[in-house]
Amino acid sequence: MKKIFNSIFIIALTALSLGACDKIEEGNYIVFSGASGEWFDGEGVADHSQRALIEKYTGVRCVNCPDADVAINAALSQYGDKLLAVAIHDSCLAFTRPIGDSPDMRTPDGDTWSKYFGIFNGSYPAALVSRTTTGNAWDIFTPTSGINSRVDNVIGQQAKVAVEASAIHQTDAISITVNLEFMQTVSDDLTVTLFIMEDGIVATQRLHDGTDDENYVHNHVLRDVITDVWGADIDCTGNSGEKRYAVFSYKNFSQNWNLDNCHIVAFISNKSTREIINVAECEIK
Amino acid sequence: MRKKIIIAASVILFSFSAKAQGILGGHVTGNVQLDGQISSRDSVIGSTDVPQKLLSNARADILYTNGDFSAGLRYEGYLGPMLGFNSQYAGQGIANYFVSYKTQTLAITAGHFYEQFGNGMTLRAYEDRYLGIDNAIRGINVMYRPVRGVTLKGLIGQQRYYWETRGLVRGVDAELSVNDIVNALAEAKTRITIGGSFVSKYEDDETILSDIDGYKLNLPLNVGCGSVRMDISHGGFGLQTEYARKGQDPSIMNNYIYKNGEALWVSASYSQKGMSANIQAKRVDNMGFKSVRSESGEMLYINYTPAITKQHTYAFLSMYPYATQSTGEIGLQGDFMYKFKKETFLGGKYGTDLHINASLIKGLDTTRIGGIGTDGYTSTFFGTGDTYYGDMSLEIAKKLSGKVKLTATYGYVVFNPVVEGHEGDIHHNHVVIGDMTWKINKKNVLRVEAEWMGSDSKYDPAVDDKRCGDWIMGLVEYNFTSAWFISLSDQYPYKDGVGNYYNISVGYTKGASRMQIGYGKQREGIICIGGVCRNVPASNGLTFSLTTSF
Amino acid sequence: MKKFFLMIAATMLVGVAAAQNAKIPENITIKTLDGKTVETSVIKNDGKPIILSFWATWCKPCNRELNTIKEVYEEWQEETGVKLVAISIDDSKSAARVKPHVDGNEWEYEVYLDQNQDFKRAMNVVNVPHTFIINGEGEIVWQHTSFVEGGEEELIELVRKVANGEEI
Repeated sequence: MKKIFNSIFIIALTALSLGACDKIEEGNYIVFSGASGEWFDGEGVADHSQRALIEKYTGVRCVNCPDADVAINAALSQYGDKLLAVAIHDSCLAFTRPIGDSPDMRTPDGDTWSKYFGIFNGSYPAALVSRTTTGNAWDIFTPTSGINSRVDNVIGQQAKVAVEASAIHQTDAISITVNLEFMQTVSDDLTVTLFIMEDGIVATQRLHDGTDDENYVHNHVLRDVITDVWGADIDCTGNSGEKRYAVFSYKNFSQNWNLDNCHIVAFISNKSTREIINVAECEIK
Repeated sequence: MRKKIIIAASVILFSFSAKAQGILGGHVTGNVQLDGQISSRDSVIGSTDVPQKLLSNARADILYTNGDFSAGLRYEGYLGPMLGFNSQYAGQGIANYFVSYKTQTLAITAGHFYEQFGNGMTLRAYEDRYLGIDNAIRGINVMYRPVRGVTLKGLIGQQRYYWETRGLVRGVDAELSVNDIVNALAEAKTRITIGGSFVSKYEDDETILSDIDGYKLNLPLNVGCGSVRMDISHGGFGLQTEYARKGQDPSIMNNYIYKNGEALWVSASYSQKGMSANIQAKRVDNMGFKSVRSESGEMLYINYTPAITKQHTYAFLSMYPYATQSTGEIGLQGDFMYKFKKETFLGGKYGTDLHINASLIKGLDTTRIGGIGTDGYTSTFFGTGDTYYGDMSLEIAKKLSGKVKLTATYGYVVFNPVVEGHEGDIHHNHVVIGDMTWKINKKNVLRVEAEWMGSDSKYDPAVDDKRCGDWIMGLVEYNFTSAWFISLSDQYPYKDGVGNYYNISVGYTKGASRMQIGYGKQREGIICIGGVCRNVPASNGLTFSLTTSF
Repeated sequence: MKKFFLMIAATMLVGVAAAQNAKIPENITIKTLDGKTVETSVIKNDGKPIILSFWATWCKPCNRELNTIKEVYEEWQEETGVKLVAISIDDSKSAARVKPHVDGNEWEYEVYLDQNQDFKRAMNVVNVPHTFIINGEGEIVWQHTSFVEGGEEELIELVRKVANGEEI
């Protein structure tokens, strides 16, 4: 009887000792608390600037494309943080294929946009500033000139919606917070599109003289669209003064990217016209 | 409703057992305590009017024992909790009840119980009625001795939280007396006891947001804490040590970091008749352990990391009490006692007692990693940071004649207000105390105490630390037989301080009953018992206390 | 206020209901100064009286009491056969200081540690010092809380009576 009691007691004690302590692995100390992209009332945006986004469609075998880089870089330094740029390497045309074993910068999301806006039907380099239209058509132009007038048109207006973004890198995810503040009442349905772009990618680029520059540095290269390619719906009333925020969790980034050189861009667009209303950029901390 | 049934049942049980004691052969014992307070506004010392006019704390323990069986219950009433007691105590009812069966080899308690494993580093459920702390566990506690020299304990329950219970605590402890187990060592002069314990708490998940938008903490629901200990004694030598570790336990106490906790305590002593020395060292790193992670007050502690500083009893030496910083500290203390023999040069006719103590407690040497939701910081084992507390004291007690005994004390205390959670300069205080007891005759005893404290601190209304400044104190206590006493005292900061704290109190003791009434002003401050401290607001007025045991 | 008086009344009532000689419990775990776990049943004195004194290293009056009795303890033992058992209620903060304290003060008493204060609770000790006189049958015949110089003379008077088998 005593032996039985002894065994029961000791088994009970051992059972209790085992598995009564949870170990959380480093890097999992914090977890995403809600649904990605759920909208809440926010605290507003400090900087109410109206900014423009120039989307440049380009290819590594396109000998005229480096000219666009020169012009866009000039515009970027002129406009400061009022102008953001992204380089989209779509795969619709043969001359965007990588040269040799140079890194492939093409993205399926770039293809979707290229096809939708009809970029691939025209000549490269091609660009859109904040997806604006001229007449009934998309205002696609060759971005070696004519950037300033288009940018001035966009940033010369008062911002309807101010936007701000911040991003923090956790071990397994990037957490991106988008804050909005309605400066005017907006009755159209809006979406927010988030993408990640990388600076300083060294990839071979063909030049005017037909030679290949193996050390060509590609900046603000589109890596991935974080939200749906046409953005995520913004849950809001659109009333002037409204402040909303949402947090997006992004895990599908590649180990091949250097996150220290990456930026997140968030743009707000009209859901039906696709026109970009405002845009913001942030580093990943 | 449930409470009413318990009260009714306990009244029936109590009256039955009290009347039937002859038949059942059991005994009813108990104790009753009643404290009351009337306090009014005094803008200088910072006391306020009490809306209820009269505040009172009352409690009665009733214990029934019959052979191996015992049962008890406790009434507590806080009809306007006294100043310094948490307002959540307000109310009255049966706060504690248990039944227990105990033999040499087996003890089972169901209901509320108090327990301690080792030095309490993993678990210590205890109460201190003067601090208003009661960490009783309500559940089942089993002690079992399978063979001689082996004691096993196991418990499961919830902790008391004012009038509720919270959390879930489970623990096991084993202690082996090597001399009892190994026959060859049964009569050895060296006695060795080793032990180990493991305690785990469970708490439901909750949303605690990290400081990264949209992220919350991935909380460990089960948190474990284990320790090993050893106690060796050989004649006058003694060595006691305990080492404890705690798993990830983000809580409000450590600002929700995931670092493991760790504590080491070592005490070495040597003593012989008329002489003793004791050295203790301790290192505590992130060891706050509570059954509810968001509880910041003094309740729901599961463990206890003993403070090694000496518990001073004179008013000015204990003006800056020190409690273990469970978030992290490293400290060393030494204690030395010597008795100069009678009829020697220093001993004189009656002998002289010398008592020296010194301690120094510092923060840990830490490197910050991050805030909430990270490992928090790293620390080096032997590195030290800011000085938290230091003291030294020299006490000489001498009987001058058959009737007069004199004690003279010098003390030096260094105190960093950061341990009480506020910024400020370190206070350095010198204290001199004279204490004389004059036994006039068989029935009349007079005790006079004078204290002085010189401090480099100055009272600053912005910080409002009323301990600042240079102080003097006088106390006269007159005892008539062991039944009556009257005492008058005044503490006055004559320089760079505020307030004037006078007190008069009269007491009467008969057997195990004691009554005391006092009138005066009480400085706001921290009272500490056993290294656990509580803030007490200033009071100005009447207090009375009645205790009896039977 | 009414509740307050009710409480006082209850206090008195309880006091009346329990006028009797309880025995000291035998089954409570305490420790010797060298760390050995024992039961309170070890507190025995061959049918002679015991002075059971609850104290703590940090308690001034306790130390005064035990130091005062120390001076006359030998005489008391010879005269009445009484034994003083000192129960330290020091918790782990100061428990390691108990043995050095006892030796340093040259106390010849039987000293036990009641770190978890189970014995203190079982004996309904609220404040220390709290002193009991236990008769030869292990019954609590007298108790007193607090100590003042001169109290020891009252104590030995009572012990003498108990040793002679008188009621007190």
